Amino acid sequence: MEKSSDFVLYERVRNKDKEALEQLYDRYEKILFSFLVKMTEDRDLAEEALQEVFIKVWRGVGEYDESKGKFTSWLFTMSRNAAIDLIRKKKKPSVALEEAGELVSPASSVEETAEWQEKKEQIQLAVKDLSAEQQKMVQLFYFKGYTHEKISELCEVPLGTVKSRIRLALKKLKGTLHDMQERGDSPWRN
Amino acid sequence: MAKLNCDHVIDYLNGTLSKEEQLEFEQHLKTCTDCQEIIEMTGDLPYLADPVDPPAGMKARILSTVFEEEEEQKKSEEVKREPAPLIAQKAVKKKNRWPVLIAAALFVSLLGNGYALLKLSEQPETGGEMAFQSIDLQPNEVFGGTAKAAIIREEESLELVVQAEQLEALEGEQVYQIWLLKEGKPIPAGAFTPSANGEGNAYYSLEDNTEDWDTIAITLEPQAGNASPQGEIVLSSEI
Ligand SMILES: [Zn+2]
Repeated sequence: MEKSSDFVLYERVRNKDKEALEQLYDRYEKILFSFLVKMTEDRDLAEEALQEVFIKVWRGVGEYDESKGKFTSWLFTMSRNAAIDLIRKKKKPSVALEEAGELVSPASSVEETAEWQEKKEQIQLAVKDLSAEQQKMVQLFYFKGYTHEKISELCEVPLGTVKSRIRLALKKLKGTLHDMQERGDSPWRN
Repeated sequence: MAKLNCDHVIDYLNGTLSKEEQLEFEQHLKTCTDCQEIIEMTGDLPYLADPVDPPAGMKARILSTVFEEEEEQKKSEEVKREPAPLIAQKAVKKKNRWPVLIAAALFVSLLGNGYALLKLSEQPETGGEMAFQSIDLQPNEVFGGTAKAAIIREEESLELVVQAEQLEALEGEQVYQIWLLKEGKPIPAGAFTPSANGEGNAYYSLEDNTEDWDTIAITLEPQAGNASPQGEIVLSSEI
């Protein structure tokens, strides 16, 4: 149900309903901010990226419709791109692998919502099914926004195969998650 | 671009495809379950992040910036007593802007500029039924300003142009907020701040208008973006 109510809310935002934008903001502030902090490792930069996202949503840039998949996929992708833009503009791109962090980090102290916790645990389980190289690629590509060249260099794979390797890693992750949900490991639905 | 294939999902996610390539890829997406799954996955991956508490005041900072940008945009699009800026508006938004242009033109003509109306009415018609209503808003006992509103209803859409004069200057983050009400229940319908000479304009559109509004009101709000009125009503009228 969440999906359709996101869409309804978004439609209202498209009609310049400020209240709807505020509701959308409240709904996604924490996950977006946390995601952007993971990407940028900089709270100010994360805030700046989040602001860019909501300016774009409000202006109707890159309009969402259901042919683009889930609303969250669209919103998160837009946020990821806002962060990548800012990282490239403001930060020296770090080349060292040690600086890129891990796809899965040790447990944090801040409390998660039950829903978040559940999703996270499942994704973490699915991540364990990936090879070390695949995990690294997802981290460098998805969370760090590294260029294909850099990923090719750091993972020591031919440049021409980077895209398909990332794609296969993501596909495998989705497949594992899907199987886990089918088996009913958790009541998570979306 | 070389024939589109599944690897382009990576470029799609990175936003590096051209407009045409993107549309082409979205066609591919409709039929390719592999790519659909990857897009779906991006709706889940961010949950790998550790929760971070948002900094104090971030919401207010971001929302006020977002709505201020809007005001800036509106100021540049605002109703001027010449047809040119009104036509410029059409280029900004992809939807057909004629209803509001005509509303605005009629409105300007109410204020004694027949030229704008004449000029715009030479332009092609939109077709479809259109209802136009012009309204004089009444000030409360102590308010010195005046405002006129024009409402255009066409099929499902409603467009509203408000032009106010002799407005009191505002303090801090205050704005004049317009509301449409039905049986006492308001929705925000645009906001403005007065220029140095006490004039203010606003334009608002509702693409899917299902309500039969009975009242229009303008309140003096302590800040922009309120979902329901906090300030007092300074100008109002039945519709
Ligand atoms: Zn595909």
